[in-house]
Amino acid sequence: MSGPMPGQKISLPGVKHVIAVASGKGGVGKSTVAANLSLALRAAGQRVGLMDADIYGPSVPLMFGLGLVDQTKVPFPIEKYGINLMSMGFLVDPAQAIIWRGPKVAQAVGTFLVQVPWGDLDFLIIDLPPGTGDAQLTLSQQAPLTGAIVVTQPAEVSLIDARKGVSMFQEVRVPILGIIENMSYLETPSGRVSPFGSGGGRKLAGEIGVPLLGEIPIEPLVSTCGDSGEPIVRKHPDHPVSMAYAKLAQTVIDETAKQPDSGGLPTVQL
Amino acid sequence: MNSETNAVKPLALRREGEGLRIEWSDGASTHATWRQLRKNCPCATCNEERSKPADPFRVLSAQEAAAGPPSPTAMKPLGHYAYQITWNDGHDTGIYPVELLRSLSESK
Repeated sequence: MSGPMPGQKISLPGVKHVIAVASGKGGVGKSTVAANLSLALRAAGQRVGLMDADIYGPSVPLMFGLGLVDQTKVPFPIEKYGINLMSMGFLVDPAQAIIWRGPKVAQAVGTFLVQVPWGDLDFLIIDLPPGTGDAQLTLSQQAPLTGAIVVTQPAEVSLIDARKGVSMFQEVRVPILGIIENMSYLETPSGRVSPFGSGGGRKLAGEIGVPLLGEIPIEPLVSTCGDSGEPIVRKHPDHPVSMAYAKLAQTVIDETAKQPDSGGLPTVQL
Repeated sequence: MNSETNAVKPLALRREGEGLRIEWSDGASTHATWRQLRKNCPCATCNEERSKPADPFRVLSAQEAAAGPPSPTAMKPLGHYAYQITWNDGHDTGIYPVELLRSLSESK
């Protein structure tokens, strides 16, 4: 694989909007949100690609019921449920650890963007790894990101890292489309319970002046569906969680339509 | 949308005399000399150099000596936030955020 040169601007002419799904913290459900949001956008009639930029811990193959792919027989991106997919998990055995230094990760992420023929898409969703490192920086500097969605749990321990993610995007001037609060609450027979506290996502959205795009409840079925290779939006489209994703997809479509210009900075006449 | 979307942006950038003319989204037109931009290169190496006392006996490298006054050979946009300048002395690690370009420029 050979990626773009450092500093080279990546152009994706057939892709209308590139959206990064990010969080400072791991384990808040970024990949679940990215997969279900992609499927909800597809259900809303959009052409969608999902790029798994988590090189060390790819989740997309499992969530879409895929595994290692023989590149000589099946061309990338892989299509499943109407979505174009690319992940490191298609290239490396799930049991094998990817022990790479940062520059190699940045190169792989750049390669996924540049060398995979994404085709004509309305949305390319990028499932980012946690943190503010090489993968994030490469995408911020080289990809024409329309905006970022930051996923957080309501707990303060998640918010402190989500703020770092927000701050990174602000530093590199990528607009934040909004915050998604995942694992917001649990519906029980005796009423709604919020095991991680409540209002964290709303608080963060208020602090930075962006919309709270959605509050997604804890639902064991979400995890079961993801693990079985068919995310909940696809398997149970009428479930309340799927309805929440459908609403989220519509909000994303509306918010991206408001973005005046997804292009980068002008070139310099030297 | 958030404040970042409304942040001031460069609309056009061109070489003018011994520097860079920038037209901004807020209507301002500014000029920064190449010398000023090179002197304030934000890369880690140059930041460290600036933090040390000036070395009166520093010997210029052959490339630096041959380059003459600073001038860019390339200036590439990076994402939505910065430009990377390659200088005629071969130095290319400086990434100049838009805010830095604005602060190093003078309105005229």
